[in-house]
Amino acid sequence: MMLIAGTIPIKDLPLTIGKVGVEGEFLVVDGHHIPCAQGTGAMISAALATTSYLKLEPPYVLVAGDIGEGKGSREVYEYLIQRAAELSPEVLALHYCVPDMALMRRLYQAVEGCAKKPLMVADAASMYVAKATGLATEFDIFTPDATEMAFLADPDATHPAYINRHLFDTDITQTPKLLAAAYQNRSAAKLLLVKGATDYIVRNGQIVATVTEPDVPELEAIGGTGDTITGLVSAFVYAGLELHEAAIIAARTNRTAGKLARVTPATKVRQITKHFPAVFKEHLCQWSGVCLYGRRKLE
Amino acid sequence: MAFLKRKQKASFEGGGLALFMDVQEAMKAERVLKGAGYQVKLVAPPPELRKGCDLALEVNLVEKPGIERLLDRKDIACVSVTPLKVGISELLKVVKVTDFGDWVMVRAGNMKLTFDKASGIIVNTSGGGCPDIPHLHSELIGKHLIEAPRPRDVGFTLCALMLDRALDECLTLWQGGR
Repeated sequence: MMLIAGTIPIKDLPLTIGKVGVEGEFLVVDGHHIPCAQGTGAMISAALATTSYLKLEPPYVLVAGDIGEGKGSREVYEYLIQRAAELSPEVLALHYCVPDMALMRRLYQAVEGCAKKPLMVADAASMYVAKATGLATEFDIFTPDATEMAFLADPDATHPAYINRHLFDTDITQTPKLLAAAYQNRSAAKLLLVKGATDYIVRNGQIVATVTEPDVPELEAIGGTGDTITGLVSAFVYAGLELHEAAIIAARTNRTAGKLARVTPATKVRQITKHFPAVFKEHLCQWSGVCLYGRRKLE
Repeated sequence: MAFLKRKQKASFEGGGLALFMDVQEAMKAERVLKGAGYQVKLVAPPPELRKGCDLALEVNLVEKPGIERLLDRKDIACVSVTPLKVGISELLKVVKVTDFGDWVMVRAGNMKLTFDKASGIIVNTSGGGCPDIPHLHSELIGKHLIEAPRPRDVGFTLCALMLDRALDECLTLWQGGR
């Protein structure tokens, strides 16, 4: 099972868990409709597009409504703490939530109780709190953007709003320096996919690949395009790809879909995700080197 | 035995400190914040952060804007909400501007806001990771910079504060360009 956990900006959405499906422009979980917009919704959409194309089981999602007050976030944490061992997902992807260091520590303890430790992915505030609690190295994948990379490199910051100014001023070409600092501080996951004008794929401190094409700078302005990358990489590792292969293909897919959608800074993320199946059909076989798609994982 | 099954008391580490001028204000703040669902803990501030009495509240630093707004509404005088760890940098004030031709994107910290140069309409927000950000995304898009709700007034987290800084800069650019 692949499990995605995070909050949805619908105040009265109760804690909900189930396999995700699609109905028109909405995602559907246990009868609740979730918009495919910036945040956990965009991440789920990208993951579902990938598992659907590969004919894999759809992601399970654990979501709760939260517009920043924190109640839904804490419900998601508590549910995972109580049920992680029972659920024992193969991939656990953590996303938008109010960062809570004590709850993250308890969650990690609960995950250690799983029969087999899930492959752990974190983005958004789940990545912030994983770093702030000193648990970053226990995670398999983080997907920071340039500012978040500076946050990971700053040993003192507990949120990107508090990073040292000289790190914020660093441009994307300085990413290798930030990577070295983050790994030295033990503030990075085993694999980083750094999203930017150049996407860096970094395994245990070593840059194993960069992705620069197609060049679609407008993607940075579009809310949710970082979330879709996290959904893609999570689904590809669930499909059985090596972490770095999954990251490279996720970065290429997002860029190529952006190009197909002819994006402008005013484009909405759902206009990009709808192009994922066409990108997979055209390129996935060549990119992954595996062209047999059956009702099984890529092997 | 029943007592062995007792629920473990939840620990709390918020990373932020709300400072007050006197003990009564600190205790009143604890009551109000707990009543609103915030996790807080009465603590003695470290000497270098003492600004008045020796009682402060440990809070979740990420929730700074929501906490400050609630205390203000309840007329509780809070000197400041500050990182617990001494040596942490000040909140980022610097912004970066990217020109996309018909659109301008302003980045403040981890948040980005983009508007249409001709109309002043907000066309996108991106970045961030706290739960109020997707909500603010839907609240801001399609609205004019001048009429949009301020993220600092309706958001709850540091991400919202950064988005507010981006909006502030966008307003300056828009008004300067008129």
